Amino acid sequence: MLAVLQVTLAGLVTGSLYGLLALGIVLIYRTTGVLNFAYGAMAAVSACFMYILLTGPQLNFWLALGLTLAFSIALGVVLERAFARPVLEAPVFTKAIATLALALVLQTVAQALWPQLAETQHFPTPFEGHALRLGGLYISLISGIVLGVTAVLMLGLTLFLTRTRLGIAMRATADNQSAARLMGMPVGRIFMLVWALSAAVAALAGVLLASQQGLIDVQFMDPVLILAFVGAVLGGLDSLPGALLGGVLVGLADNLLALFLAGHHLGALNVSDPGVRETLIFGGFVLVLLFRPQGLLGQAVLRRV
Amino acid sequence: MDTRKTTDPSPSAGGAAGAGAARVRKWAGGLGAVLLLALVPPLCDALFGASAGFQLHRLSLIGIYILAALAQNLLTGYAAQPSLGNAAFFGVGAYLLAWLTNDLGQPYLVGILVAMAVCAALGALVGGPALRISGAYLAIATLGLVFITGALLDLWDTSAGRQSYDLTSLPALLSEDHALYFTILAVCALVLFAARNLLRSRVGRAWVAIRDNEAAAEAFGVNLTRYKVLAFVVSATLTGLAGALYATWATTASASMSSADQTIAFLAMIVVGGLGSLLGSALGAIFVGFLPLLLGQLPSPLAIGPFQLQVTTLTTGIYGILLLLALIFFPRGLSSLGTGVRRLIERRAVHSAEEGTV
Repeated sequence: MLAVLQVTLAGLVTGSLYGLLALGIVLIYRTTGVLNFAYGAMAAVSACFMYILLTGPQLNFWLALGLTLAFSIALGVVLERAFARPVLEAPVFTKAIATLALALVLQTVAQALWPQLAETQHFPTPFEGHALRLGGLYISLISGIVLGVTAVLMLGLTLFLTRTRLGIAMRATADNQSAARLMGMPVGRIFMLVWALSAAVAALAGVLLASQQGLIDVQFMDPVLILAFVGAVLGGLDSLPGALLGGVLVGLADNLLALFLAGHHLGALNVSDPGVRETLIFGGFVLVLLFRPQGLLGQAVLRRV
Repeated sequence: MDTRKTTDPSPSAGGAAGAGAARVRKWAGGLGAVLLLALVPPLCDALFGASAGFQLHRLSLIGIYILAALAQNLLTGYAAQPSLGNAAFFGVGAYLLAWLTNDLGQPYLVGILVAMAVCAALGALVGGPALRISGAYLAIATLGLVFITGALLDLWDTSAGRQSYDLTSLPALLSEDHALYFTILAVCALVLFAARNLLRSRVGRAWVAIRDNEAAAEAFGVNLTRYKVLAFVVSATLTGLAGALYATWATTASASMSSADQTIAFLAMIVVGGLGSLLGSALGAIFVGFLPLLLGQLPSPLAIGPFQLQVTTLTTGIYGILLLLALIFFPRGLSSLGTGVRRLIERRAVHSAEEGTV
């Protein structure tokens, strides 16, 4: 029983990371209609930037984090102006494939600037080796921080989007761009802010994942991104709480399945193979979509004739 | 052609003659292209000498990608189903061919036909439920199918205890580079011709009607379920064929054929080339499938200012930038370049004709 609880806790932590990325994906998708496959690369570039600050000039962890967040916001603004703006009116597929090209370019630039990160490196944090004890459960300090940051960020984002003028303007733009424009909202500037905001979320998620794994390289976000996408779609692409929920569910399923399948065999088949786990997760995901085609918390779109 | 009809003084006769001439021109164009491509091997021999076979072998890959891109385009560009699941059939086609020819000792042709038939059945199996899901949801759900297929194929490899699934009993003819090239060229020409005719039949018109306005198509009596499932079946069959040919080309089948990268590459091909365009499928297959190989020819290592770049890194970057530029300047695909040029020429022609009459 304790093992199950322990694994559930671990699942919540990985799930929170997926959820954070899913949040950023949904933010961009809802407002600008870009299915952003470059989101992993954006997170990776920011985390790599922080690694360089930590190892090159040996900056204090918190100072480096602050600079990284500033860097990621600047990155978001630049990407919106230089990349998202020219393809804004393009068909949705074109935009999605363009983000793939963007991911290639971002990774190349990062690799050219910081060749040492082509190999996996150790990501130093002040939290290493510390653990928290909750009843009979143990959790590493960084995992606790992941849970805390996710909760605070979700709360903050919800308050921002429902209570502040700017947040409401963002939601209005997402709901109906031309109506928002007619109401005098600076739609262009709002797009820029959305990209900046989700780039900052990406940076946080990237730094948290790097700290939790203790490892980093240029492509370390790639395997995570697909699961974050699954989380985002599972929760419903138009719902922020849905994105977080979807991400957490994927993380939980991943960890719990690993526990239950460990050491079992089905004939010649080794069930604890990660391939089996992946198959089950994606199978479950497709099943859920068949019953809820708009995701768990997404709203069904009315078809107007 | 429509505009020419209205300006012509005797619409019926002139229009028919015009249409006939256009048809002859298109036929001549298609045949000419095939003949030109048939001249590539001798040209290759003359140019590359000893490495001609190797170069020709690499060129053959384009044909396989054209088939896969065409399959994706029929499904996404014509029937408007944004499925990212095609790489699943790509891998299944390859593995089935390997299994049938290696382990069951069946002839090559039987292997290909069975692979296509199974992929068609799987396409129907996927297409049915896929009708419930739309847009980005469908894209990510079908991407999930690719992951499942890739994991299952990988599992098959590991439980069978093999490092790689090599096709050991291919017909001797197909291991020769020239013969392989001509085989792939012939298959491509046939499939493109069949696809062109299919698109001009009831089926193709139904797909385009669904794409342009689903509700209107339904109101006009187009059976949505039937034609959408049919699109999945046709696309899966063609992708299975492409996968089997790829396994023949590479003489091995690997689980990485059913990966996210592969399936996204198929979508990238038709987006770059042009959705809903046969020419676009070919252009996109060349851009996405062949350009990286071509860029791989750059000298290594290259130094730009203070940056020492490994060529693999650099090609990825250059390729990314080219892809980005193509998408920004041709958001409707490279095939729109041809249309644009033709329109410009026609406008010039009309302009000079008007000046002549005045």
